[in-house]
Amino acid sequence: GGERLCPPQVSVLYFARSAELAGLRRETLRVPRQVTALQLWEEIVSVHPRLAVIRDQVVFAVRQEYVLLGDQLLVLQPGDEVAIIPPISGG
Amino acid sequence: MDESEDVPKDFIKLKSEKLSVAEVSELVSSPYCGAVSLFIGTTRNNFEGKKVIHLEYEAYTSMAETEIKKICRDVRQKWPSVKHIAVHHRLGVVPITEASVIIAVSSPHRAESLEAVTYCINTLKASVPIWKKEMYEDEYSWKENKECFWANSEK
Repeated sequence: GGERLCPPQVSVLYFARSAELAGLRRETLRVPRQVTALQLWEEIVSVHPRLAVIRDQVVFAVRQEYVLLGDQLLVLQPGDEVAIIPPISGG
Repeated sequence: MDESEDVPKDFIKLKSEKLSVAEVSELVSSPYCGAVSLFIGTTRNNFEGKKVIHLEYEAYTSMAETEIKKICRDVRQKWPSVKHIAVHHRLGVVPITEASVIIAVSSPHRAESLEAVTYCINTLKASVPIWKKEMYEDEYSWKENKECFWANSEK
């Protein structure tokens, strides 16, 4: 079959402080198919500007692997989970 | 005795109910093991002069379970004689003095289980997506483990 050209819809999950700032725990966003982690962060902040204050303290989990907010290129598939991960405090 | 009936197992549970030391110890017990080592993380009643009313935990549950499984896999690589591993973490509200986390490891001799338990709790604090909110009388605070490399180091 041919490649789907439309940008994928991914599930964005918010936890802890990021859920408080965004005002929700989960949503579906349409994002570019190829995007750096930092660009993806900027996309999410454009939807939820209050998240900007925690930019230096969060990482992503993309398909349950940690990703720093940097230049790493992400190739996102429809239905992928992207989670905002504030500093953890388990245990 | 047929050792194949006592295959090494990982017991991982995130739950909102009160944790049980007896239950977790029992999970890892084995007739081949002379040692069960335990860590219990409990809730302190104060932080920097503020009275802690209770803790609240939340988790990225599916990823937390996956990360704990990775820790168990690493334990078995580092300490091959380890038999069973149990990691129970409480979610939701945890009252003062109650356990937030219980880790138990069994091994034939004590050195391995003692070291493995230490490794488990230290690595859990560095890598498992669970968050703790400390509730004080007038405010609350999202805690940050010093082991977390993306936390703000000035805090």
